[in-house]
Amino acid sequence: MKSRLPGIYLRRTIALTVFLGLWELSARAGYIDPFYMPAPSAIGFLLWDQFASGNIWPHLHATFGAALLGLALGLLTGIIIGFMAALMPYLAELLEPVMAMLNAIPRVILAPLFIIWLGIDLSSKVALSFILVVVLTFFAVYNGIRDVDQRLVERVITLGGNRWMLLRDVYVPSVVSWVMGNLKVAVGFAFTGAVVGEFVASSRGLGYLLSYAQSTYNAALTMALITLIMVFVMFLFTIAGMLERYLLRWKYR
Amino acid sequence: MLQIRNLSLAYGKAEPVLEGVDLDLEPGRFVSLIGPSGCGKSTILRVVTGLQKPDTGRVSLKVDHKEIAFLFQDDALLPWRSVRDNVALGLRARGMSRQEARTESDKWLDSVGLTGFGDRWPRQLSGGQRKRVAIAQCLALRPKLLLMDEPFASLDAIVRHYLTEDLLHWVEREHLTVLMVTHDLEEAIALSDEVILLGSGPRAHIKGRFEVPLERPRMLLENRSDPRFVKLAKQLWSALSDEVAPLMSRRSNLKAVNQ
Repeated sequence: MKSRLPGIYLRRTIALTVFLGLWELSARAGYIDPFYMPAPSAIGFLLWDQFASGNIWPHLHATFGAALLGLALGLLTGIIIGFMAALMPYLAELLEPVMAMLNAIPRVILAPLFIIWLGIDLSSKVALSFILVVVLTFFAVYNGIRDVDQRLVERVITLGGNRWMLLRDVYVPSVVSWVMGNLKVAVGFAFTGAVVGEFVASSRGLGYLLSYAQSTYNAALTMALITLIMVFVMFLFTIAGMLERYLLRWKYR
Repeated sequence: MLQIRNLSLAYGKAEPVLEGVDLDLEPGRFVSLIGPSGCGKSTILRVVTGLQKPDTGRVSLKVDHKEIAFLFQDDALLPWRSVRDNVALGLRARGMSRQEARTESDKWLDSVGLTGFGDRWPRQLSGGQRKRVAIAQCLALRPKLLLMDEPFASLDAIVRHYLTEDLLHWVEREHLTVLMVTHDLEEAIALSDEVILLGSGPRAHIKGRFEVPLERPRMLLENRSDPRFVKLAKQLWSALSDEVAPLMSRRSNLKAVNQ
């Protein structure tokens, strides 16, 4: 991998501090209207307050629950049907156009439909997360299996390997590498699904809070929530990255 | 050990690549198959291993498929398996337990000069080292018949020389029967008992068989200046040129048209 210039984190920290400092100063000096653009410190206090009062927990719980459940189900289903489609041409014939159609629409627009079908509770959010993740995973696995290096397949066959060995030593590792390459995107999709679902209609969750903040013209709360989601998703990215580096250690070491 | 009769094969509806190929391989013999590139040499190996079905003709093997090892042109190691597990792959396919196969693999890694490399990933090895792993993978099967497809084509001259020398040593020690495909004339003579020349394709067939009059064990460097080696090399060169020449003139005609 390309090595970074030394001192990169120092320069980035300085740049961020300068940016936030200028923002803070101009808000305090009255150059920008806090109604539209509250100072970073105001956003920080608001966030702190949300945690200190404990108000945020049920919302975090709702969003995380929906996103992680949607992610897990989406990955699992995507891997299973991707595998099945790659190994059964007839199934692929049927599934490919369906997945292509689902892939062609911005899938968050399915939110109203899921809410009509499943109500405003957890299930409609999970469904939206799921549908975003499953299509992505399906294509990663399906294409991954079809693009498996034929030399490796032939190598295992000529060494006397049976179908089970091909699966274990060639197909599964190739698919893991494809899925891992898409894991970060899938995490992002899962949160998009959960938050957008809540935003459209719900009684709990970060998306619900966002919609509330919007209806009350509360820019500070909106920005606080966006920051919160960003921090959590980046945290999950880090975990996904660690998992990727472990499972694909043959690539990185 | 291996008998091929009247083998023909076409890819799709195109003109057949091979037509009427006959080939015999007696136990303990080292036979090389040379010919212009693209003439279908590798295809013959693929048919012998069963990776490719011939259109007509018969391949009869006097060994079990389990006693055949195939050394690919590129090393084709699984990138996600350690060097040790790559060597163990064929042993595992033959039903050996994981532990046993690993111990056995380490032994073979020792014997190809890669002691202590078992835990590395293939990516961390040089081209020559990966080739040695691939050789260990084949030898570990204790094959009776070894098939090799341009085994050293991608290596630089020095690595190639040492690896060829080692391979010669292993083949002579294990009394292997070998069928090697190569486009390197001198490599073919240096290693083989017999060199078979395949004509240029399409419809390639066997154009000549040449016994190599050198005794074993062989010394690679000394052999190259042996008058019998030189004589055979000249003979093969002219036979090979006869096959390649029509292709070359066709190409120069094309050039003339383009200009």
